[in-house]
Amino acid sequence: MADDVKRREVVMAASIIPVMLGMGVGIEGAAAQGAPATTVLVTGASRGIGIEFVKQYAARGYNVIATARDPAKATELNALAAQHKNIRVERMDVLDHAGIDALAAKLKGTPIDILVNNAGIGGGGVNQNFGKINYAVFDEVMKTNVEGPLKVSEAFVEHVAASTQKKIMMVSSSQGSIASVRSASLYFYRTSKSALNMVSVNLAKALKERGIIVGMVAPGATDTDFMIEVRGRMPLGKPAERTAGMIAQIDAFTMDKTGQFFEWTGEQIPW
Amino acid sequence: MSDVSDPAVTRRDALAAGGATTVLGFGFWTEAFAADGAGAGGTVLITGASRGIGFEFAKQYAQAGWTVIATARNPATAEPLKALAKAHKNIRIEALDVTDVKAVDALAEKLKGTAIDVLINNAGISGGAQNQKVGTIKYEVFDDVMRTNVMGPIKIAEAFTPHVAASTQKKIVSISSTEGSLTGISGRPDVNSIFYRASKSALNMAMINMAKALKDKGIIVVMLSPGLVQTDFVGDLRLPIMISPEQSVAMTMPIIARVTMADTGKYFRHTGELAAW
Repeated sequence: MADDVKRREVVMAASIIPVMLGMGVGIEGAAAQGAPATTVLVTGASRGIGIEFVKQYAARGYNVIATARDPAKATELNALAAQHKNIRVERMDVLDHAGIDALAAKLKGTPIDILVNNAGIGGGGVNQNFGKINYAVFDEVMKTNVEGPLKVSEAFVEHVAASTQKKIMMVSSSQGSIASVRSASLYFYRTSKSALNMVSVNLAKALKERGIIVGMVAPGATDTDFMIEVRGRMPLGKPAERTAGMIAQIDAFTMDKTGQFFEWTGEQIPW
Repeated sequence: MSDVSDPAVTRRDALAAGGATTVLGFGFWTEAFAADGAGAGGTVLITGASRGIGFEFAKQYAQAGWTVIATARNPATAEPLKALAKAHKNIRIEALDVTDVKAVDALAEKLKGTAIDVLINNAGISGGAQNQKVGTIKYEVFDDVMRTNVMGPIKIAEAFTPHVAASTQKKIVSISSTEGSLTGISGRPDVNSIFYRASKSALNMAMINMAKALKDKGIIVVMLSPGLVQTDFVGDLRLPIMISPEQSVAMTMPIIARVTMADTGKYFRHTGELAAW
């Protein structure tokens, strides 16, 4: 099944690297001035949009905790971490709740300004065609895309509460917009993202008193391995551009927007 | 499977209209469908028919002369349903756990050749309030809620599509809840049923897809919020806006009767108004 189930974390276009290299300068600057360091934790950081978040936040000089299911195999992430001392790679499988708790305990005392719940799976389009739905992937999609982000948020809530920015951000999808469905497909993926949105709306309410902002951002159809089944059949955006857009939305999130859902362009996505 | 016992969460529809509106809505629909709230007769399959709203659907459809296939996880202990079936020869009871994909296929196979006019995906669980408090969430219960409330209805709709397609009325109805309305929940302060709400948002998404997938076959797919109904589902909770299962079903049956292909993919409140996503 692992081959069928495409993880969101994907290899990024090599052409972006030179762009990012030029941006690595700010790190030492921020540290030298003694400004409080901004820390970001990104799940599913070995590939795709996840590694793009790591690159762009690292280039800003943020401390980045980049998690991956299997860091030993995350060659590109490891190479990135070797270049940027502000990137720390940690092992985390969002399906492994004990592992999530263990990482939260290991990072106790580390404030996390922005928790980016990025790890997610599509479940494979071929498994979700009406009449031939493969229910064996249902649990994995729900556990990864809905329970995972909720569990990670629950486990790291103290780290976020102790930070300056206090943001929990979900990488959702416009595929989760019930109002936007035009034709049937991706039953599990779509339902998982609608469910994630509802979880996030509730989490926003639950954490408001603690000053924690919970938001959803969507990258649109992006050219990563996640979209391998449709590559060439529909226009796909560049990971660097889409991630930069999501980062801009995350920057703009304030408490008055908590519980809201934005496309990378800044457009609010209907439920 | 988790038991539903906590009164604080287990609301099917906390956004139910106030009492007066409810009565007005009821009156309106009753008048409109005075002759026969159930519409033309036929065969209806209802999941989760041992109790609450499911039981009431079985009862009212049977009273209206429909052929009723009433499913329950454990028919042996479903005493009221058994008594009902004894009193109405047009009720047939079948064992079905909606989370058991193979069992759903087996029942579909057993009923092969039986046209089902109305398929009601009613079975659902709340997960219990005590299991869904942020900070101490019980994820194994989350799994049960998602499997029962989301996967079950998708699988049942898929497995019984041939039976529904072979019928006259061709309707698939999923019992949702305004608790699954992202718009409604966004404007409310409470957080007490995070899984249940997520499961109903997910169910709505699944059914919208189903509506698109089945349109070519002439099958109508709608979602219904039953109102805040006084059943075992809500435990001891008693509020003035609550309605009885009898009232809820008497209000939703005429909606089921009147929907046409123009309504496919819509999400109705028990009052007949559309619910927001």
